Amino acid sequence: MLLDIFDPKAAPRAIGIDLGTTHSIVAVLRDERPVALVTCDGGPLLPSVVHYGDHGSVLVGRAARAQLERAPQRTIASAKRYLGRAHAEAAAQSLSAVVLATPDNDDEARVVRFDVGGRVVTPTEVSAEILKSLKQSAVDQLTHVGGAVITVPAYFDDAQRQATRDAGRLAGLQVLRLLNEPTAAALAYGLEQQASGLFAVYDLGGGTFDITVLSLDDGVFQVKSTGGDSQLGGDDVDRLLATQILVVMGFALDEHARVPAEIVALALEQGRQVKHALTDAQEVEIAISVRGGGEAPFVVGRAELAELMAPLLARAARACRRALRDADVNVEQIDGVILVGGSTRMPAVRAHVREIFGREPLGDLDPDLVVAYGAALQAAALSGEGEDVLLLDVLPLSLGIETMGGGVDKILPRNTTIPAGARSIFTTYADNQTGFELHVVQGERELAQDCRSLAHFSLKGIPPLPAGLARLEVEFHVDENSLLTVTAREQTTGSVQTIEVKPSYGLTDDDIEDMLIDALENGEVDLEARRLADARVEAERVLLATQKSLADDGDLLSGSERVQVEGSIAGLLEVLGRGPAGEAKLSSSASLVQARLGALDDATHAWAGRRMDQAISLALAGRGVGKVASSVEKARGVDVQVAEHEQNRAPRTR
Amino acid sequence: MSGVADPFDTLDIQPRFDVDLETLGARHRELSLALHPDRFVGRPASERRAALSKAMDVNAAKRALDDPVSRAETLLVRLGAAVGEGREPAAPPELLMSMMERREGLQQARAARDKTALLRLTAEVEAEQAREMAQMGALFAQALGGQTEARDAIVRSLGALRYYRRFFDEAFAVLDDLD
Repeated sequence: MLLDIFDPKAAPRAIGIDLGTTHSIVAVLRDERPVALVTCDGGPLLPSVVHYGDHGSVLVGRAARAQLERAPQRTIASAKRYLGRAHAEAAAQSLSAVVLATPDNDDEARVVRFDVGGRVVTPTEVSAEILKSLKQSAVDQLTHVGGAVITVPAYFDDAQRQATRDAGRLAGLQVLRLLNEPTAAALAYGLEQQASGLFAVYDLGGGTFDITVLSLDDGVFQVKSTGGDSQLGGDDVDRLLATQILVVMGFALDEHARVPAEIVALALEQGRQVKHALTDAQEVEIAISVRGGGEAPFVVGRAELAELMAPLLARAARACRRALRDADVNVEQIDGVILVGGSTRMPAVRAHVREIFGREPLGDLDPDLVVAYGAALQAAALSGEGEDVLLLDVLPLSLGIETMGGGVDKILPRNTTIPAGARSIFTTYADNQTGFELHVVQGERELAQDCRSLAHFSLKGIPPLPAGLARLEVEFHVDENSLLTVTAREQTTGSVQTIEVKPSYGLTDDDIEDMLIDALENGEVDLEARRLADARVEAERVLLATQKSLADDGDLLSGSERVQVEGSIAGLLEVLGRGPAGEAKLSSSASLVQARLGALDDATHAWAGRRMDQAISLALAGRGVGKVASSVEKARGVDVQVAEHEQNRAPRTR
Repeated sequence: MSGVADPFDTLDIQPRFDVDLETLGARHRELSLALHPDRFVGRPASERRAALSKAMDVNAAKRALDDPVSRAETLLVRLGAAVGEGREPAAPPELLMSMMERREGLQQARAARDKTALLRLTAEVEAEQAREMAQMGALFAQALGGQTEARDAIVRSLGALRYYRRFFDEAFAVLDDLD
């Protein structure tokens, strides 16, 4: 461990982050085993609470949580519940201590904005503060932090995933991957050591519930189905208990909406303590301060809590049955059930899991840490440091397009293995129509208005033709993070159309850019410097990889293609200050490096396709695994070389 | 996605209706190991793009062959037949009648919240579907062996499969409702 700290040439270490509703964890692979790093609070769990003090000061973790009762408006807990949500959705939430800023326009209404006393922050920024704190802990202990895998509930929709990724960007992390929490947990359990099997992951966290059914075959995890409720978790139990506590305090049920935020925060905290105490005790009694003075006892037993929670657990049970049905498996076929999330410590939840699955769940790993462990394993695997395992995940919610009648035309159903693509053809319905509007939604309901709106796409620049003649082909790509991109092409002329995207929720790229500039001391100058540094690292990586590919698969290039590739390499070397003119060109900008990278990318496009076909032939010939192992080997070589290169040339930034 | 590749070719599987699902799964895994985006982290963009597009093709092919209706459609396209609703002959009236009755049965089960009746209906259709699929497997073997007259019988069978699938979609929705 000490070596990690003092080795000046330490290779960048990939980290795994569990960005949780109640607490967050950063983990790393050490001696082939995942370990949680100590956070600024001295332990592995960092409370996901951020306090905004005077003069722009920010507290994260336990120090922030200590401010919850004293300054509830300036202290944000459970920000994850608000990620990718709109103002109206947050405003409808009951019994919450946060104060929302009233949106001035439609753009502002697309995100939740907390009024933290004199300043307004979004859940993405709050999450970024938590990520920054974790990143700093990692930097302190690992010296050189590489990319990060951040986990998300499997049931998160596109908007919630985008918001999580944006938080990572704001925190200055290189987000390698958004990984679904249940899949991460399965990875942490080392199930891949078994030959094969069918597993269920039951994940009840602070704010979300996920159920995932996955199979393991030949070292490949394949998610069969996933389901859940992104608004169901331990927080709801706190809220149920807090409601009762408020009654004991002397507030009638119909008054609860008007109870001061400080008292709500106190009742929620007491509810949380009662819930935790009932994990070990059969019955708990606490003294409650009553309105108007004096105290009253509040007594709850396990059985009462179980009864109180029954409607919540019934919702979870329905999600489990649906996930099993979607996976087309019977409960008897399940080989093991994994518990994830602190809320699964509750005896009522364990009993409920036993009842649904008819077996004792696996619980040897700490349910609070298991997701971060999985994230660390995946981060290591993606950077070529760790074990070779592949996760095949699915799209959690169906994607569709709103039809003329307000219905939904499903383009990719839920539980489709990702990455996935689909295409739809649209024809113009009016003469000389040059534009098209598409409304993309996500969800299972029949009417578009009941699904979650993702974005409105405006396609422009269609050549004027009689109605029905212009045929627009729209492609939907869902990447390995379950994130959607849309492209369109007019089939008659083959021209790619310009698409204007108006996301229904969340921040725009411009918003994120502004936030990044605000966060840096010298704003735009620093941001350009950071961009240039990033572009240079990327360029060095691509150069090394391309030279390696030339050595391995140069035979797949035609003579003229080789000239093109070599010319583009020379062009890139030139702007990196490594051309024949030497350091003279050092005044290069990020956009110039990007442009030269783009030229090399174009020159290698067709070649890459051919090399992929070759990889496919090899895989089908049964030599796939060997080839893959060697390509991972290559990737690792490149990373290490880039890291060493960076170490040698650039002054350390931290 | 290129969209033109035949799913059987993409997965290098022998084209037949009663496809071996284990081989299908194994082939999908082998190709995913070679092509999944996670295998190309930190690689040049052109490579990542090429791999992503192939990985999507492989997943689409798996999806097409997993489902009996689209598997049959894929094979019929290979045999040069016109497929797609509207281009196929109308279903026989007996099938239409019995499916209509069953869908009414579903709505009755929903109204009466009678899960047992629902499951009984579902099991009945499942059995019928299994018989239809077995028959289809044999017909496809003939058609792929060059007997063109088997093709028309297959198209009729396909119509029935479509009705069964619509029934199951509805049955699952009712099951969700009753849960």
